[in-house]
This record gives sequence, C-alpha cells and structure tokens, in this order.
Amino acid sequence: MFQNRAEALALALPAAIFAAAVFLVPVIILLSDGFRDPVGGWTISAYTDFFSNSLNQTVFLRTLRLGAIVTVVSAVIGYAAAFAIVSLEPATKGKITGLVVLPLMISPVARTYAWIVILGRTGIVNQAFQALGITDAPLRILFSETAIFIGLLQLFLPLMIISLISALENMPKDAIPAARVLGANWFQVFWKVVLPLTKEGLVIGGTLVFTGSLTAYITPAILGGSKVLMLETLMYQQVSVSGNFVAASVIAFILIVMSFAANILLKRVATARNKVRSQG
Amino acid sequence: MKKVVFASGAVLMLTLGSAQTPVLAQEKTLTISVYALAQDEYKQIVYDPFEKICGCKLVVETGNSVERLAKMEANKANPVVDLAAVSMADALAASRAGLIDKIDTAKLQSFDKLYDIAKDPNGDGMSVGYTFYATSIAYRSDKMKIESWADLLKPEYASHIAWPNVTTNQGPPALYMLGQALGKDTPDLKGAIEAVGESKDDIVTFYEKSSQLVQLMKQEEIWAAPIGRFTWAPFAKLGLPVAWAMPKEGQTGGMNVMILTKGSKNRDLALQFMDFWLSTEVQTKLAEKMIDSPANRQVKVSDEVAGNLTYGEETAKSLKLIPSAVALDNRAGWVKSWNETVGQ
Amino acid sequence: MNSNTLARSLFIPIILFLVIAFLIGPFLIIVAASFSAGDTLAFPPQGFSLRWIAKVFTVESFRASFGMSLFLAIGGTAAALVLGIPASYALSRYKLPGAEVIRTVVSAPIIVPGIIVGLALLRYIVVPFQVGITLALFLAHTALVLPYAVRVVSASLDNLRSDIEEAAVLLGSSRTGAFFRVVMPNIRGGILSAFILGFVTSFNQVPVSLFLSGPGVRTLPVDMIAYMEIVFDPSVAALSALLAFLSIGIVFAAERFLGFSRYV
Repeated sequence: MFQNRAEALALALPAAIFAAAVFLVPVIILLSDGFRDPVGGWTISAYTDFFSNSLNQTVFLRTLRLGAIVTVVSAVIGYAAAFAIVSLEPATKGKITGLVVLPLMISPVARTYAWIVILGRTGIVNQAFQALGITDAPLRILFSETAIFIGLLQLFLPLMIISLISALENMPKDAIPAARVLGANWFQVFWKVVLPLTKEGLVIGGTLVFTGSLTAYITPAILGGSKVLMLETLMYQQVSVSGNFVAASVIAFILIVMSFAANILLKRVATARNKVRSQG
Repeated sequence: MKKVVFASGAVLMLTLGSAQTPVLAQEKTLTISVYALAQDEYKQIVYDPFEKICGCKLVVETGNSVERLAKMEANKANPVVDLAAVSMADALAASRAGLIDKIDTAKLQSFDKLYDIAKDPNGDGMSVGYTFYATSIAYRSDKMKIESWADLLKPEYASHIAWPNVTTNQGPPALYMLGQALGKDTPDLKGAIEAVGESKDDIVTFYEKSSQLVQLMKQEEIWAAPIGRFTWAPFAKLGLPVAWAMPKEGQTGGMNVMILTKGSKNRDLALQFMDFWLSTEVQTKLAEKMIDSPANRQVKVSDEVAGNLTYGEETAKSLKLIPSAVALDNRAGWVKSWNETVGQ
Repeated sequence: MNSNTLARSLFIPIILFLVIAFLIGPFLIIVAASFSAGDTLAFPPQGFSLRWIAKVFTVESFRASFGMSLFLAIGGTAAALVLGIPASYALSRYKLPGAEVIRTVVSAPIIVPGIIVGLALLRYIVVPFQVGITLALFLAHTALVLPYAVRVVSASLDNLRSDIEEAAVLLGSSRTGAFFRVVMPNIRGGILSAFILGFVTSFNQVPVSLFLSGPGVRTLPVDMIAYMEIVFDPSVAALSALLAFLSIGIVFAAERFLGFSRYV
C-alpha cells in the first residue's frame, strides 16, 4: 500500500469526476422527478402508488425472479465452463475463450431473432423433442418466460464465464491440489477454497449478469411477445407510449436499487465465505 | 503521466467539439425528421432532387414517431428539427404541447390536389396528411376464413394468431374494430381489451414489430394478424396462400402527417419542401415504388401498383379512423387496462 | 487419481461442447441465414446466395452509422481505459480517502437502465449545454465503458502481488517506471478483457443511443433496429454476421498486438 494521498487522488479523481458530471448528476436530476409532487415538494407517493398496483407487483416479482434464476444458473454453468477452459492447453484455451466471447460480438437483436427460429414450432428444439419422443405435438416455447430465460442466459453467460476465467487463472495453482491432499472432497474444495479465491470474479460476473437481465429490453420484448411484461418493457411503455416520465423514473429507480442490492448481496456471500476460511 | 492523460483527453474533446460546428455556416440547411421507412428510395425520389431545387442542404433524422416527438419536446427551447412527419395522433399531441405552428397552406401549390381527409386531419390547421394506410387482417386463406374482426378470437383460430400490442400503431385501431364487431365500441376500448384478455393464453404473441410477422407466418407459428397495408408486400411474396381480409365491419387504418416546428428558423424552406413532397410528381414516384399510398388525388398508378397500396378516394373515405383526440385522451388508459387484462 | 483423470477427461469436453453449442448456435443460424436464398430467416437455409450480403453494402445509412459506432467503440473504450487504469491503480494500491465512494461513482453507469441514461443526457447535458450529438454519444459511451474498465483492471491488479513493484521502487525505479515495467505487463490480460468488454458493450449499445441520435448521426445498432422495424429480411442477419467477423478480427489483432508487445 502506497500512502501518498495526493498522488492517489490525482490518479482516481479524473475518472470519478467524469462519471459524476457526465452521468451521475443528469441521472440523479431525472430520478428526482419521481420524488416530486405537483407543487414542488418531496413525496414518495409515486412509489406507494406503484407498489399498490397488482400488475406492477407481478411484473416486479417476475423481473426479480428471472434475474435471480439467470444469475444463479449462469454462475453454475459459468464455474463448470471456466474450470474446463482453464484446464486446457494455452493454445486451445485461447480458441475456446474466443468462442465463448463470440456471441458478445453479435447484435443482441439478431441473436434474439435467431431464437425465434430455434425455439419455434418447426424449430430445431421442437424437431429434436419430437424425434426423441419427448413430446408428440410441438411445444409452445416461444413467447413465454422460458424463452426469455433462454434468451437472457445466452446473452449474459459469456460475461460470467470470462469473469470467472480471469478469477480462476489468478488463483494460486497449488490451492486445489493442496486442499485435495488435505482430504477435502470436491464440494468442500469448491466451497472453501475456490469460491473465496474467485469471489471477485463471481461478484463482477454476477452483477453484470443480474443487472443485464434486469435492464435488457430487446430480449423480453421479442421473446416474451409482450405477454410477459418485465420492468424494463413496462418502463419503455411509460416513456414511449404514455409519455409518463415520472412513472419511468420510478421504475428506473427501482431497477437501480435492485442492482445495488444484488451487488451488495453478492459481496456479502463472497466475504462471508472468506471469513470462514480465514478463521478455519 | 497524469498531465499527458489530461492533455490527451482535452485534445480529444476539443477535436470532437469542433467537429460539431457546421462546416459551411452560410449554406442554408433544412432539418427534417421522418419515419425510418425506405430511406434509400426517399433519398433518390425526394431528398436529392429537393436539394438541387433549393440549393440547400437537407439533414434527415429518422426514428419512430413517439421517440422523435419526445426529442422535439426535449429540444423545445431550441428546436433542431424544422419539419417532421408523424402520426395523426402525435401531431395533435405536438400541437397540444405547443411544439408546432399553423401551416400556411396558401403557400402550398399542391394543397388543393389533396384528398379532403388529408387537408387538415385534426381540424386545427397544424398538420397536412401525406399518406394514409388501411389496417386489416392478413390471413392464411387455406386454414381459415375471416369475415369479421371477431373471427380472429374464435377458439379454433385464436391459438394461431398474433395481435398487435396496444403500444403499436396498429394496436388501438385493431381493438377499435374488434369492439365494433362485438358491439362494444366505447372510446376506452374496454370490451375489446377484455375479449382479447380472455384469449390471451391462446394468442401466440402480442407483436411489437410488424416485420417479425413475416417470419412467424413463414414458420407457421401464426395464420393471421392484423397489419397495416404498408407492410403487406412481403406477405404476398411468401409463397403461401395469404389473403387480405375485407371484414364486414370494414377496415381501419391511419394517416401520417407533416408538421412544422414552432421557432424553426427555416419556415419558407420547410414549406417549400412540404409542397415538393405533396406534388403529384413526387407522390406518384413514391406510389410506384410502393412506399407511400398517395394523399394527392391526381396521382394515377397501374392496377398492379394500386393493389399493393391503399389507393383512391373511395378507399380513403371508407377507412374507419380513430379520431386523434380520442386516441390521445385515451392512450394512457388503453395501455393501463391492456396491461391489467393482457399483460399480467 | 485414475478415476479422477477419466472423469475430468470426459467432463471437460462434454461441458465445453454443451456450453459452446448453446452460445454459438444462434450465431450459426445467423451466418446460415446470411447466405440463404430465401426471404426469411430459416434453418436449414433455403438455398445459397450472396444477395443479402450484397444488399448490406447498398444500404447507404448503414455505412455512416457503422463509422459512427466504430469510432464510439474504439474512442470511447480507449478514453475509458485512459481514465480507468489510473483510477483502478489508485483504488488497488493506495490508501485512498473515500475509496468506496469513488468506486461506486465510477461503476454507477453499469446499473442504470440505458433508456434513463439516454434521456437524462439529452435533457440535462445536450439541451442546456448545447452539446453536439456526436460529443454527447462519445461522453455517454465513455461513461458506459468506464465501469468495465475499472472493474476488470482492478480485479487483475488485486490479483497481482504488490510487493513486486514495491521492490522495484526500492531498487531505485520511479513509481511510473515501476508501473509501466512491472505492473502493465502483468495486467495486460485484464486490460485486453476490459477493452474487449468495453468495445462490444459500446458497439452493441442500444437503449442509450436511442435518444442520443440526431439528424444524420446515429449508431449502427439503432440504425439496424430502425431498418428491422420496416423489413425483416436476412440482410440484417448478414450485417450481424459481417460485424461479428469484424469484431473477431479486432479481438484477434488486439491479442496479436498485445502478444507482440511482450517482446518489444
């Protein structure tokens, strides 16, 4: 740790000032609209109104649920995939990582449309299911929560995998063998060694995936077929159809709070593990 | 190092900033805001010829009607756009928000050639229609028979249709016609929204982008959907037996209009452009390319072209349009009851 | 150990195959559709033709918006790294007063929904300060990429032992010298990841750019959406596929470039 405060501030402040001026201040002004009453005072009535509406409650819970499921599933798959990739020869590793990153290079709009082809009545998934005898008639997968889940997972899984790869790579090489030698089973190895040592990656990846799922617009709009409203689609409606900027800023604020909460929660989970390790 | 970082950042911003100032300040510039539709053809038929005539520079902003309106509202104090093409209801919204001025139609030579419904659609003198379209149902004639808007919700059909979301331009008109078919035509569209709500689990999707429907029709995901005539051409080319319904309640539709921004510094140029767009010559070319159905009644096109457009005075008169004021006053309510009934 | 080795040798390929199939499947559909002769996206594609790829190059607005998006993605990411690397270094190596506040401020852009960001910038930066749309887009994209830059670079700095550079300083190297000679080579991977993440985030950004488009100025994804609102033919798939290949090229070049720098 270097102690020179002036030097530290000189390094850190440009970024902070930039983010504050270009981003934070305008957004805060906009968000404050949600807390104003018509006479110019402060109120939270817009929020109590929002949560007293049963549609809003449903949409809020659905958004939270889908975000959480996508995050958890991508963390599980992400660890498996990141482990597999890290164990590869360097040359193969580069290529596979490239393939994982590849979907990020494709416009989310085009990717979402591709799912319409894959998940449709005559799509590959239904053809495979029917050929394998899993189902007789084509399943209706499109335009449901399942479709949104699949779309979001494909959209954000790469972010989780890359975050975890870089975390796993920075883990001391002998940590796992050492734990194994000391008699830990694979579950213990993961829970007590890998997770604490890769928490930074998990927190980054988890926050990216969760926040991404909350704020994705195109995927729920297209794959949900507007039958399955999410907070972001609801907000877009408020802006572009009703021109109701107050309602939109209320939803925006709720989404922001949810993201912050997820970030803090993930950090908690990760540090709690860490403490256990340092005590044991 | 810090100084270098700062300096390079500053230089970058300065170069970017200076790139913003107009290159030729003395050249006249007209800024218009239009739908993103067929911009390459518009450039060839409308923009490039106009630039030659006026000796000015034309800057074009595109996007959907509501977004562009939101931007006009934000830029109210210092308008960027001189002339905008929007939907009828958005024109009324703009007028209520004090964003636009009355149009001096005496300066438009083409004005008298317009269909009557296009001359002053909102009755406030603030807009002029340049194209209109019919909305009806595109359907698989081998799978179903559509004689009424209510047929779409028949149990044997409902699981094979897409319905426009209430937030799209086609949503409210389709609900309006369904309401008429059900004998429940109130301005709040409640009866129609409830009927759609009862079938919501069957209906394949509530579409946002009509371009998606061609794909769904091709994949046999859907057999029918209410659409605007301007999206009809790709359905006709699918190689499937797709027909355009003539329901007994009639067809609905919409009109797109031009408006002039309040505080614009290029009023005469904007009027000149408007006149050019409405001229028989330009409207004929746009019709022949099957881009916009003409609002100018002197436009004559072949039967084949007419078949792909919403063409002629009779058609124009027969369309059952939702009055702009009704649309505007009820829009928020429609979305609310739609969300509560269908979106949940 | 034998059963373990067997399990691992099976586990790795199976996991990788499933994950990659899931992630790449849609891409293959898009590529296939780009070469299709049919009028809609379909798999398997109907016939082979280059007409959709050819069509991409005839749409005039795509060219201008492509240039804009490329400029924003490269310029915005570079600017974010220029701001973000020193900040990450300060956050990870210094006793910094208000470190948490700075970290939160810098990473805030990631959690605010794009539509709100676009709208806020339009209303409170573009309009009152008469900022041009291009500059506004540049500022917005830089701010959006900044969190990725700081987080990823911080993560690699945290995982790098700081005693090496302290040793370098003790041995007489300047702090700046130690940074460039000791730290930079070791966090190159992090910087590359940050650049890739930033580039693709910026390049594919839709909601923020939606409101920040002005007459004659808009980004490629917004342009694509506008195009698709009117027609959905395989030309959008073709464009997406071409862009993907371009991005792959850039990533490949970046890795080559950074790989080379090791020996320079």
